[in-house]
Amino acid sequence: MAAVSNAVRVAMGDSADVALAAAGDRLAFERLYRMHANRVFSICARMSGSRVKGEELTQDVFVRTWEKLPQFRGESAFSTWLHRLAVNVVLNARKTEGKLASRTEQSDVEDDRRDEMARAPLHIERMDLAAAISKLPEGARKIFVLHDVEGYKHEEIAEMMGITSGGSKAQLHRARLLLREALER
Amino acid sequence: MTNSNMTCEEFDAALPDYLEGTLDESLRAAVQKHLSECVRCASLARDLEKIRKDAAALPDMAPSRDLWQGIEARIAAPVIPLAARPERQRRFAPAWMGVAAAALIVSTAGITYVLTARSLDRSSPRVAVVPAATQTRGDSDSSTAEPSAPQTAAEVGKGNSRQAPAVSRVVKAEPTGRDAIDARFAAQDQEHSEYVYGKEIEKLQQIMATRKTQLDSSTVAIIERNLQIIDAAIAQSKAALARDPRSRLLSGQLTHALDKKVELLRTVALLPAST
Repeated sequence: MAAVSNAVRVAMGDSADVALAAAGDRLAFERLYRMHANRVFSICARMSGSRVKGEELTQDVFVRTWEKLPQFRGESAFSTWLHRLAVNVVLNARKTEGKLASRTEQSDVEDDRRDEMARAPLHIERMDLAAAISKLPEGARKIFVLHDVEGYKHEEIAEMMGITSGGSKAQLHRARLLLREALER
Repeated sequence: MTNSNMTCEEFDAALPDYLEGTLDESLRAAVQKHLSECVRCASLARDLEKIRKDAAALPDMAPSRDLWQGIEARIAAPVIPLAARPERQRRFAPAWMGVAAAALIVSTAGITYVLTARSLDRSSPRVAVVPAATQTRGDSDSSTAEPSAPQTAAEVGKGNSRQAPAVSRVVKAEPTGRDAIDARFAAQDQEHSEYVYGKEIEKLQQIMATRKTQLDSSTVAIIERNLQIIDAAIAQSKAALARDPRSRLLSGQLTHALDKKVELLRTVALLPAST
């Protein structure tokens, strides 16, 4: 019968936990966190170019999600809504970058070590690509991650970042050329 | 620039749109012709295409530590409103909110009673409380006197019903027929629990029926789909319990499914109306 309960949860997806969490149920919200933490962390770490910043931003994303959840109307999938919220949190984090930098400055060495450890089990090409992405200039990196990794369209990126879609295309091409150069070394 | 003689500079300019797949047919043909003739540009296009594909296939990363503790601490912090709520929000307290609140209180109290009663029942051995031996038996301290042999409630009851007990004591019930007794208790317990849940679900469903018109149709559709799934789980649990009425696992699963239904209906009762 435990299988029935699990089957119910799988069949219902996130929706029951989303409804419960929106009503203030922290256990339901923790289940949502467990389900989506890695995906959100990937967005945050890749866009920011740092695992440490990525972890801080991931916490910010889920705190923001908790606050905004009662406004979630179910017009899109919860995961789509959550990922978009994560992107917005990362983009808005630039405003508080000075504060963030002071917190991460002392752990740059540790950050690098964690980066190496985290990438170690991956295929050598992927390890190189991940490292090369983190070395891209900030604007090009964010657009590359949003377009080529996360699959957003140029029009969506332009809207989120307050730029033109032509600017997004140009930055993406620049990012790809820089990555090619880095991977050829 | 002509379609048949594209230069490398022209190719470079057209490359972003070529990779996006947004070139018109004639320009695309020119790019493909150039690619078939120019090793440098073919290598560039191949490399950029590979980067795009590899990036899309990058696996998810995991944080180096569990971040939940920090998140939980932050969301647990009390939020104190800095300003008074706007007038429009303060007026947002229609009659159904009062009805919903009252129903939720009744629902919570009823279910808490049932669950507490069941919990107490399961956490202690099944016993019979019988009158202690009285002074007429010559015991100076009946509360500490050990009985010579186990007594059933029925045996003790015979002829002793008129004697007022000085102190009550606890005697283990006879194991004989315990399975049958347990089964009967379990069945009664389950029936009572289902009755209480049924009453509360009925009340909450009445609230939901009135709320449907205030909610977004897509929200109502999702809620109804989830209720159908939960109802299916309840039906499965009941069917399994009918075959094995003493199973605590099955009983727990039925209670869990009923809890889910009550939780979902409570959530619906308190959802804000669509604007």
